[in-house]
Amino acid sequence: MSLLWLMRRLLLIAYTMIVVSVVVFAITEALPADAATMILGQNATPAALAALRARLGLDAPVWLQYWRWVWPALHGNFGISMRTNLPVAPAMLAALSRSLMLAAAAILLMLLIAVPLGLAAALGRSGPIDLIAGLVSYLGVSLPEFVTATMLLILFADRLGWLPATGYVSPARHLVDGVRHLVLPVVTVALVMVAHVVRMLRSETIDVMASDYIRAAHLKGLPPRVVLFRHALRNALLPVITVVALDVGYVLGGIIVVEQIFAIPGIGRALIVAIQSRDLPSIQAGALMMAGTYAVVNLLSDIAYALLDKRIRYE
Amino acid sequence: MSAVLEIENYSLDYATAAGNLHVLDQVSLAIAPGEVLGLVGESGSGKSSLAAAIMRLLPTNAREQGGAIRLGGENLRSLDQPRLRAIRGRRIAMVFQDPATSLNPTLPLGRQLSEVMECHLGLARGPARTEALALLRRVEITDPEAIFHRFPHEVSGGEKQRVVIATALACHPELVLLDEPTTALDVLTGARILDLLSRLRTEFSMSGLYISHDLSLVSRFADRVAVIRRGRIVEEQPAPTIFRAPLEPYTRQLADAVPRPERRLVTDAAGENELLGLTGLSVRHGRPVLLPNRVKIAVEAVSFAIREREIFGMIGESGSGKSSLARALAGILPFRGEVRFVGRSIARPAEMDRAYRRAVQIVFQNPDSSLNPRHRVAQILARPLRLFGATPAEIPRLLEDVHLPASHARRFPHELSGGEKQRVAIARAFAARPRLLICDEITASLDVSVQSRVIELLLALRRTHGTAYLFITHDLNLLRQIAHRVAVMYRGRLVDLQYTAALGGTDVHAYTRDLITASPAPVSG
Repeated sequence: MSLLWLMRRLLLIAYTMIVVSVVVFAITEALPADAATMILGQNATPAALAALRARLGLDAPVWLQYWRWVWPALHGNFGISMRTNLPVAPAMLAALSRSLMLAAAAILLMLLIAVPLGLAAALGRSGPIDLIAGLVSYLGVSLPEFVTATMLLILFADRLGWLPATGYVSPARHLVDGVRHLVLPVVTVALVMVAHVVRMLRSETIDVMASDYIRAAHLKGLPPRVVLFRHALRNALLPVITVVALDVGYVLGGIIVVEQIFAIPGIGRALIVAIQSRDLPSIQAGALMMAGTYAVVNLLSDIAYALLDKRIRYE
Repeated sequence: MSAVLEIENYSLDYATAAGNLHVLDQVSLAIAPGEVLGLVGESGSGKSSLAAAIMRLLPTNAREQGGAIRLGGENLRSLDQPRLRAIRGRRIAMVFQDPATSLNPTLPLGRQLSEVMECHLGLARGPARTEALALLRRVEITDPEAIFHRFPHEVSGGEKQRVVIATALACHPELVLLDEPTTALDVLTGARILDLLSRLRTEFSMSGLYISHDLSLVSRFADRVAVIRRGRIVEEQPAPTIFRAPLEPYTRQLADAVPRPERRLVTDAAGENELLGLTGLSVRHGRPVLLPNRVKIAVEAVSFAIREREIFGMIGESGSGKSSLARALAGILPFRGEVRFVGRSIARPAEMDRAYRRAVQIVFQNPDSSLNPRHRVAQILARPLRLFGATPAEIPRLLEDVHLPASHARRFPHELSGGEKQRVAIARAFAARPRLLICDEITASLDVSVQSRVIELLLALRRTHGTAYLFITHDLNLLRQIAHRVAVMYRGRLVDLQYTAALGGTDVHAYTRDLITASPAPVSG
């Protein structure tokens, strides 16, 4: 991994962000009602609309509007929310940080379940564990998260009453209560990813275990434990990194639904509220932040891949 | 003296959907201390299954039908897994065919070597490392300290195989199984590995089983040679005699199939006129994107001319640019420089029109990847026929030309043997009635006996159609049998171009001479 490669990747991320910002800007531009109509309502007089457009700068050419938005955004200023009249950036960042915590917890939980399950399924191929893993995978993939979430809510919050149904408490302020509020959303998000990773890891492990170098390791007389953990695991886990990185894309999308169901004030819920109230600055900031997160996570996964697989040298 | 390894009436079946398949039938072999026994057979003869049976790592559908495999008098068949593990790597070790796949890509080489000694000799990491470095020196690794920390992709094929050999010898095993240890390597590297093995044989007073499909190679290395065919040992003799005076017709057939430079198979001369010429042809891989990337030069300024009806041989190690050159001429890779075809100049692949692409055909090394697995042979052959104005009615004739029954037209590639698949690929090329056929290592993945039949076929087709061949191979002895001229490629450059008869002379490039030395002619009969 060379410095040149890293610079090129950062350049690529910058390029991606430019494209995303243009697309986000274009979409909000293409909405049927503009900001002035949103604020003044359907019955506003044309004169009042024109006055407000002039004040908001909506009568300027499109490229100038884009520039007036993107230049402060580069400096962390995404404008004032049309709904709350507060600066957009701090609110959206706080929401993003809650979502990221939810996503990180979900990914961690997913790995804790999926890695042992995938390995066990591959090693006990066609056995009972493989069958269970297959069943869990199919269920996880085929059930949409709003169904899983609802079922979890009915069981654990309603029938058993073990966990709170909705709401958010910051774990930093109140650890136990915070974690209790996070359990159900985290499980919901993790479940679909478990399916992806189990299936991937299972087939990778089967391939690796059938490879020449694993046969060679057996023929060296190494104990099965050493063959599995020293020789097979790393090679089987490598492709999983890519799947997890791709799944981050899913999480960012899926989180919108999950946050809505569990009433968690994350970036997804913030986006829904922003869209419902046509709060353009918030929509733009939220979409950009999500795209940026995805780009950074992919870069991190590439770096992790290179650190684990010495064959990969980014030049 | 009692035998190190003794196999007695050993039989093995594989359970398949179509019933039991007999793989080994009443095999009996013995290897004395310090002796190397050669085991020669074609693919599918059961030689690899025998190795797996000795190592006790048989596939799950294997059904042993009786017999004994004794190591130092102890029957390996009666041992449980923990006791087998104590034997594997300690008392029997194995050197594999392809070091590129038998080494773990994500583990440093030194670790893969020292772990055997940690496991069997109970050494701690430090002493195991010291031992490993000493072993690496004994397999003639020049910088053991550096190799120790490298990963397999960072070293050459020869160095990888040396590490594999060091690993096999690490615990001074009683028996070493050598499974085609030079087949996956370049000619020169393979020759050096064989030299190394010969030296280590005495140093470690090694007993071994050398498995190969190449009778000539085995009879140079082993003390005795056993020939296996369809799971049966058909003949067993001291190495010097078996090649010179085989008793069985099958062994005779194997011996005859080995290319011998002194036995020319082509007697007529090439034509006078130039068919395909190239001047300053270069091929580069990769192109600069965003920031200038490193561009790899595959072929650098190569010039030569192939005459009508000529068999133009080309030789060189892997990565020397042979295949890139072949692909550029076939119009698959972009190139720089000039190509002339029957006097017409071609500067870019785009200028290779239908007439050129029809006249210049290519057959690839691996028919498994060059034949569409979902198409029947008839479909595979019909496309070039239609493309070049003939009708599918010619399919039976095409198949007959390559000595395949017309009924094979209905088969899928996986229903054919390796040799048959390559015949289909040749038939596909001849469907276009080419004037030049590029053969890119087309016999490299075939057994020696199958290779000799494919070569016979190519020569017969040339007699009928007057086709010229650009014949790329790593087998110099084969080229000396069939080629009019031999071109030698080294690191993308053409370093030598000789009439075949002049190869034995003094006026050849140093690298060519190395190649000649590394490809000794078989012991003549």
